[in-house]
Amino acid sequence: MKNLVYTALLSSILMCSSCNDVEVPATMAMDISLEHKLDGQTLELNGKSFTLPSGEDFTPKKFKYYISNVVLTNTQTGEMYEEMDSYHLISEDGNKSIDLGMIPSANYNQLTFSIGVDEVANGKTDQTGDLDPNSDMAWNWNTGYKFLVLEGEFTNKNTTERQGLILHIGTNPNFQTITQPLTGVRAGKAISLILAADLDELFKDPNTLQLSDLESTTIMFGEMAAKVAENYSEGFITVK
Amino acid sequence: MKTYQKFLLLTAISLATACAQDVDPTEPISAVNYFVPKLSPTLQVAGFPQPERNMISVEGVDLGKKLFFDPNLSANGKVSCASCHNPELAFTDGVSLAEHGVSGEKLHRTAPAIFNLAWQTEGLFWDGGAHDLESLNFGPLTHPDEMGADLDEIITYLEHDPAYKKQFNVVFPEEQIESAQVSRAISQYVRTLISQDSKYDRWQRKEESLTDLEIKGYQLYQKNCSSCHQEGLFTDRSFHNNGLDKTYLNPLELEGLYQGRFRITSNPQDMGAYKTPTLRNIALTAPYMHDGRFQTLEEVLDHYQNGIQLNESLASQLTNGIAINQQEREALLAFLATLTDSLFIHNHHPKSN
Ligand code: HEC
Ligand code: HEC
Repeated sequence: MKNLVYTALLSSILMCSSCNDVEVPATMAMDISLEHKLDGQTLELNGKSFTLPSGEDFTPKKFKYYISNVVLTNTQTGEMYEEMDSYHLISEDGNKSIDLGMIPSANYNQLTFSIGVDEVANGKTDQTGDLDPNSDMAWNWNTGYKFLVLEGEFTNKNTTERQGLILHIGTNPNFQTITQPLTGVRAGKAISLILAADLDELFKDPNTLQLSDLESTTIMFGEMAAKVAENYSEGFITVK
Repeated sequence: MKTYQKFLLLTAISLATACAQDVDPTEPISAVNYFVPKLSPTLQVAGFPQPERNMISVEGVDLGKKLFFDPNLSANGKVSCASCHNPELAFTDGVSLAEHGVSGEKLHRTAPAIFNLAWQTEGLFWDGGAHDLESLNFGPLTHPDEMGADLDEIITYLEHDPAYKKQFNVVFPEEQIESAQVSRAISQYVRTLISQDSKYDRWQRKEESLTDLEIKGYQLYQKNCSSCHQEGLFTDRSFHNNGLDKTYLNPLELEGLYQGRFRITSNPQDMGAYKTPTLRNIALTAPYMHDGRFQTLEEVLDHYQNGIQLNESLASQLTNGIAINQQEREALLAFLATLTDSLFIHNHHPKSN
């Protein structure tokens, strides 16, 4: 509903401004796609084994996360585009792109977005679209969303046994906003941006995770979750 | 809110049509009857809080009620909300830990009474982890040991049932049924479960009198219990450690489940703290406490008198226990019995309306 209101409102404004003749089209198409890499290779969930920064092997089974509140800015002119209802569930075995549609034309040189769901949207779960709790990203006993989910198996180097890893990171303090410079965006020209998500960065910088040494490899709340969030706040997702 | 959105939408549409003639301005306007339930002053509440995004209507409550009693929402078609929240037991299930969810596995906590929850704005569930009813409902709907449902399958079921489809289209503006609407409708019904016509309420309203014994019990309640089970709602809506356990197990796979509210807040003072349950309809809602460990009110009073476990987070009022003699005990129990609201039970019996 809200979505509809904004689209209707926005399109009406856009349509009207396009009534005048101007050189540069008033709007431009933009989409963003995400690439997932681990140990320099393309991520796969089909049983393939990868090496973590710690040297431990790891077989990923599930990887999803929220990208939200996408903002484009031209830091010189102050022109800015904020996507409304900007919540995108990205998953390795599902959607890996964000279609911004037609946005106001500008020479944007900066992209800002967040990993997770902001405090307001995180305070309730009766929501629709990518926030619909049917995606298994909502917590039921502690209202809010998982911001990032990574699950898989690794070989414990101390016991040599296979062991599960469950990373379910959420809660407001772990909501992280990321700002990246953009080059090559020209007003009026359709463009596709590529964001690279480097999963190695979840396990290092600044906090190195040695899975075999952890007390619990189910990481959902508390200190360990905060460490992973600190890791994904920088270097995890970058503009390609 | 809704009208405000419609207004915005209309402006947006007319703006858009000024430029391009491709938007259909004939949005169907749904006509639902919003209402606010009648409240007894004996609840001692200011108004009826409800979220702007889900104001109750006659039609919404009807729909929510139907969903509440519908076992088809569950994975095996046998479990409804009422399986654990039975109106005859003031919306509890009479057992310590239910094994009547779809999996037959034992739950870790007892099913609390479901009424007067509109005012439970400091958090729902025993540890306050759920922010509101709208968010909470996805818990029982999808929990593998409760209704075990897949939300998409619920939607398919409702979309294919013409009566439901029609009702949803009346209550909600969206064309398609969404999980949010299912939860909102149930929440509307649950908010209308208001217990406010017990003998105590009628006494307070000067419609009936209490016996001397009951009045003595009332005074004992005021002295010993009302700091937490606050008069009116008979809960302060807050969280306390009332001395049930000295230490708390913490098996990793249960994510702090036995630590009470500490699991939600990580505040050491909340270790072993649970939400103060209401004492209204208390005679109907045995067994007692978050894990249903006490079968009778006698056992509860024994606990407050002799069983308090001391630790760092214990509520300070309870350090020395609550000493009452046999006569006082009888009086207190007599008073607690005046909190039974048979009109509420009767009105919400599925067969009586
Ligand atoms: C298998 C049993 C079972 C079923 C079925 C069930 N519940 Fe519950 N319900 C519980 C238990 C147990 C709790 C307490 C959980 C906790 O606090 O951790 C609870 C708690 C609640 C609460 C919180 C009350 C409070 O005071 O905080 C509400 C509201 C509720 N349930 C509503 C529902 C609704 C609506 C449904 C149907 C969609 C439902 N329940 C189905 C067992 C059940
Ligand atoms: C310090 C606050 C406090 C005081 C004082 C207190 N209670 Fe409680 N009471 C609680 C809390 C908190 C619970 C829930 C504890 C749990 O389940 O872990 C509770 C639970 C109960 C229950 C079980 C309710 C249910 O639905 O399971 C009864 C009955 C009860 N109290 C009666 C009394 C009586 C009678 C008194 C006075 C003699 C009293 N309480 C004094 C905080 C208090």
